[in-house]
Amino acid sequence: MTTENSELNISRIINASPATVWKAWSRPEHLAKWWIPDPIECKVVKLDLRPGGGFETLMREGGGEFKPHVEACFLDVVPEHRMVWTTTLAEGWQPIESWLALTAIITLEAEGKGTRYSARVLHRSPADSRKHEEMGFQVGWGTTIDQLAAFVQRLE
Amino acid sequence: MEHYQAPLDAAFHALSDSTRRAVINRLMKSPAPVKELAEPFSMGLPAFLKHLRVLEDSGLIATEKAGRIRTCRIRIDRLAEAESWLSRQRALWQASTDRLADYVETQISGKENDD
Repeated sequence: MTTENSELNISRIINASPATVWKAWSRPEHLAKWWIPDPIECKVVKLDLRPGGGFETLMREGGGEFKPHVEACFLDVVPEHRMVWTTTLAEGWQPIESWLALTAIITLEAEGKGTRYSARVLHRSPADSRKHEEMGFQVGWGTTIDQLAAFVQRLE
Repeated sequence: MEHYQAPLDAAFHALSDSTRRAVINRLMKSPAPVKELAEPFSMGLPAFLKHLRVLEDSGLIATEKAGRIRTCRIRIDRLAEAESWLSRQRALWQASTDRLADYVETQISGKENDD
């Protein structure tokens, strides 16, 4: 499908100040609590919030070994307002081959008593992204349909 | 944006119904005639045909008529697009955003005065 988009946008209100939301993102002990869903354990290896700083998280399921989750490099950081990171680079701007190349642009804006939290995520072309993702994606069709259905039902 | 999203929306809409998902799951195994597809369902044929129509319009299935028998088959390419990497990524990001909101609202917000 040549018209397929390769960008996604998430936006919602969080009932807390931008400072508090930023804290949940910028402190490893907080980030580890929500970045990966339970029961998978998250370990924050790098969270160096400055341009060129590293962002690395590992995940572990069932007490096994920690495995790679996200390795990325911060491109832009404005505390309590915006962070931009990409998985195409590692710490210190080092180019890396990522299983899913993406650039995430996270913005926080005060709105009423809360925060408008937005994530804009840019990917490579749909064909490239799909090819890469499928390398690490081996699930039965039935399961993915069920997941899709569950996803759709959440939207409704 | 609308232009890009429309085909995906049609696929999602098509898959939002349990009858249509059951049809898709059946067609995963092999193509099948309409009559056979309709059998497991208690609804009348006209109602069932409406569901097939939605699936066909969404591009998830194709139908061909040979003589008096109409056969349906899955369009695996379209299905792959519907449950594409982007949908999965969006679901992941939506879920993590919701976890962040939940965490901030329940775990940090009340204790905010500590710094």
